[in-house]
Amino acid sequence: MDKSPRLWTGFAFPGTAWLLALFAVPFYAVACVAFGSIDPIFRDAVPRWNPLTWDFSESKIIFSSLINGPLQGVAIRTIIYVVCAMLLSFLIGFPVAYFLARHAGKRKLMYLVLIILPFWVNYLMRMLAWVNLLSPSGLFSRFMNILGVHYNWLDGSPITVTLGLVYGYIPFLILPLYATLERLDWRLIDAARDLGANSRQAFRLVTVPMSKPGLFAAGVLIALPMSGDYYTNDLLSRSPSTEMLGNQIDFFLNASTQPQRGALLVLALSIFLLIFMSFYLRSTRQHARETTR
Amino acid sequence: MTLVASQSQRRARTSPLVFVIWAYIIWSLVPVIIAVIYSFNNGRSRTVWQGFSLRWWFTDPNASLWHDDSMRNAIFNSLVLSIATMLVVTPLGITLAIGAQRIRGRGSNVVQGLTAAPLITPEIVVGAALLITFTRLFTAVPLGFTAQLLGNVTFSLSSVVVIVRARLVSIGSSFEEAARDLGASRWQALRFVLLPMLWPSVMASLVVVFATVIDDFVITSFLSSGVNSETVPLRIYSSVRGGATPALNALATLLVITSFTALVIGLFGLSTWRKRHGERGGLRAALADVTQMES
Amino acid sequence: MTMRRRDFLRNLVITTGGITVGGSLLAACGGASSNTTVDGLAIGTPEKPIKLPVTTDAIADGLASETGTLEILNWADYHNPESIAIFEKQFGVKVTTSIYDDEAAAIAKLRNGTFKPDLIFGMSATGLAKLIAADILQPLNKSYIPNFSNVITGLRNPYYDLDSQYTVPYMIYGNGVGYRTDRFDKNAFTDENGYDVFWDPQFKGKVGVLDSPRDTLAMAMFRAGKFDANTSDAAVIKQAGDDLIAMREATNPKVDILAYTEIPAGNRDVNFTWSGDLFTALQYLPENVSPEVLGFWYPPKTITTNDFFCITKTAKAPVLAHQLINFLSDTDNALLNRTYVGYQPALETITVDLLISSGTIPESLIDALVTPERYDAALSQVTLDPAVDALWLDQWTAFTAG
Repeated sequence: MDKSPRLWTGFAFPGTAWLLALFAVPFYAVACVAFGSIDPIFRDAVPRWNPLTWDFSESKIIFSSLINGPLQGVAIRTIIYVVCAMLLSFLIGFPVAYFLARHAGKRKLMYLVLIILPFWVNYLMRMLAWVNLLSPSGLFSRFMNILGVHYNWLDGSPITVTLGLVYGYIPFLILPLYATLERLDWRLIDAARDLGANSRQAFRLVTVPMSKPGLFAAGVLIALPMSGDYYTNDLLSRSPSTEMLGNQIDFFLNASTQPQRGALLVLALSIFLLIFMSFYLRSTRQHARETTR
Repeated sequence: MTLVASQSQRRARTSPLVFVIWAYIIWSLVPVIIAVIYSFNNGRSRTVWQGFSLRWWFTDPNASLWHDDSMRNAIFNSLVLSIATMLVVTPLGITLAIGAQRIRGRGSNVVQGLTAAPLITPEIVVGAALLITFTRLFTAVPLGFTAQLLGNVTFSLSSVVVIVRARLVSIGSSFEEAARDLGASRWQALRFVLLPMLWPSVMASLVVVFATVIDDFVITSFLSSGVNSETVPLRIYSSVRGGATPALNALATLLVITSFTALVIGLFGLSTWRKRHGERGGLRAALADVTQMES
Repeated sequence: MTMRRRDFLRNLVITTGGITVGGSLLAACGGASSNTTVDGLAIGTPEKPIKLPVTTDAIADGLASETGTLEILNWADYHNPESIAIFEKQFGVKVTTSIYDDEAAAIAKLRNGTFKPDLIFGMSATGLAKLIAADILQPLNKSYIPNFSNVITGLRNPYYDLDSQYTVPYMIYGNGVGYRTDRFDKNAFTDENGYDVFWDPQFKGKVGVLDSPRDTLAMAMFRAGKFDANTSDAAVIKQAGDDLIAMREATNPKVDILAYTEIPAGNRDVNFTWSGDLFTALQYLPENVSPEVLGFWYPPKTITTNDFFCITKTAKAPVLAHQLINFLSDTDNALLNRTYVGYQPALETITVDLLISSGTIPESLIDALVTPERYDAALSQVTLDPAVDALWLDQWTAFTAG
């Protein structure tokens, strides 16, 4: 097979060309807009296609704004919401996946189908469902009122936004978690038990370390879209006090006249996630090295 | 393995986690079910129940899902976009998967990198980048359907590649080699041996792409051009916080029904194919195919 | 095509030359205008009205109307679907609507081709100069719009567009405060500090302001006693931004344009908004809730203005677009349209007395009607010089970024 690279290159070509033109080039276009100039009348971005002429003055303003200026709140909030939502998702998702992989027994298929269902229910439908429940006249709000909790859930509440993110993305966490846990060699855990470990110790010393790379991968899988999310926030809050980075990108590109700033924030988000990703790649590689040693 | 399974079953009866899983199932599904129920509300409200009616589905002469032009238009746009994307991306993804799996040498890294990158890029980044590209660089591509199609193909291409490559790995090269030994050309081996065996992954891709695109919000929204390219998710998004009637719930319900129909058809097709071709797994393997769990 | 070429020309100028060159080139293209800014925007003000430059001819007289589809661009819920249905039937055509929720963003999208409508509803003087500079509009041929004579007399020759070459007024409204009379005492709004409710922590979570940089920043300025809604004074603009941030900390307001659904639904007690929204709100009241719960404080010194129809240069159905303007400028059609939209049509024939006698205006909302006196006393709001606009937007971003 190795001797006919031309055929396989031919096979790879259309898809690769497509991704070059519509995935790689667009990133370059973002940079050209981000480091381009601004039309003085419309404040629209005028891209500079030649990197030698790039102008970094606006990018300095935006990046310093993210670190200690007006956009600082947005940056910090995005990180806090995503981290909290991730932790919560793991707290809920891990037991579910664990049960499914380990204890579901004969009903496994039924549980699997029930767990997969929300994965196939449209994200916006699930948000719509909660908007209806959380609105002041909604069932959930009325129920909480009976319990004596009077809280305006849809009024710029960070709790609602974080829980909304959890609700929205948790199906995407549970499935890969389940796949990881199911592939684990459970005999090792049984062995640990046989050697005198109690179930908590076996879980902490064997199950968790063994499933670590899978946990990590699953976490990254939901952290990435969460970091760029704007619609959950828009639907559940729509208040400046819960704005995330994605909202600012959407605002600058779609609801404002400053696409250059939008492009700069897209770059900022990509760089941030790239750092995150490389950290992830390094740790999985390290893990692989440790286990092969 | 059987030993492990029996031990798991022994524990199943006592596990307190069973409450956790049921709590999760209720939490994840009941709100949606309530939203579906409210599409049959007799009143204008999406939150206060005023009796059962089909008003927002059929009978209201202006505002029901059946009679509202703009909602029907959104449904039509959604279907056209997802079917068109499906048709473009599947062949593109299959060839890319075969190529990426077998290409060697210098080009390989570029191909692998480019194929993997969209999987770990947030949608908003892809959407924003394409918006900038179509409005400033490839200005011949008008925003609206064409841009949405190109965008969705770009974003879903990698998942098709993942699904097909998983199948390629499990098939291995022995079948093709056997065909070659029997005198088939490389092309014939590919066309008559490998491609038919790829069928489950093709079917899984079709289902996955259809469901992703019909549910897609971010890319479709960034690349839309007003009402002519408004899809169902866009319509839901723009009306949820407004004074929309339960017809909106009906619209969302219809979207869910459509995805589930695609899922059921796909699962049915996959498990039938497996049965007919003597492959094991049945429904569970089919589920694994469409959820990309084994990737 | 012309539009693209001109944009291209200007960009060329911008990237190679400088602002003033760009301006003079535009002035040269656009014909004589006394009050273009250094950046080449032709901005009319009540003190210095403007005749806008015309670069193409209007459509010829007596053309047959097109068949097929008319595409309009409009704010959400800003025309009555029933009225449009009548128009569709009468002319045997189909009308499709795209929605915008921010004027400046919509103009950007008209420039980059996201929106390609024939007819635009609801743009105002704050955006007109940019629409003209971007060469998006075509001049109107009023022989297709005999109902133009129904338009409020003072708006037939408006300062922003002398001779109404490009625009026909649609609705009139003023900026003020919508509130729930069942949760708010009318006397909370005294002339001096009516806006203070938005800074009063006891209303936290129950307030909203317009998602419109120009309107909401101007509100903060009015509260501080500065009444120039087009100010270029950086200190005043900065102060307004700081005040809005203080408001955000005090009451955490919603920032959107949904007062017309949120107030009747009971989700908000008070909302800075356009007067017309309260009439739109009437039909969003839940069953069994009295319309008298809706109230509006019309500040004595505020922006009262109108928006308008305009037709794009690239319109595929320009004759139909003229016909629809004419259709909605008919008194009966405008009244039918109003039953859904709520806003007051900018027609001489639809007087405040007529509206009150129609019985559709609850007692509590009589104060939300735009009277000729209010129109005369109005503060105006026009397109800002781009450099000044940038100052406003920076403050707005600081506010909305939380």
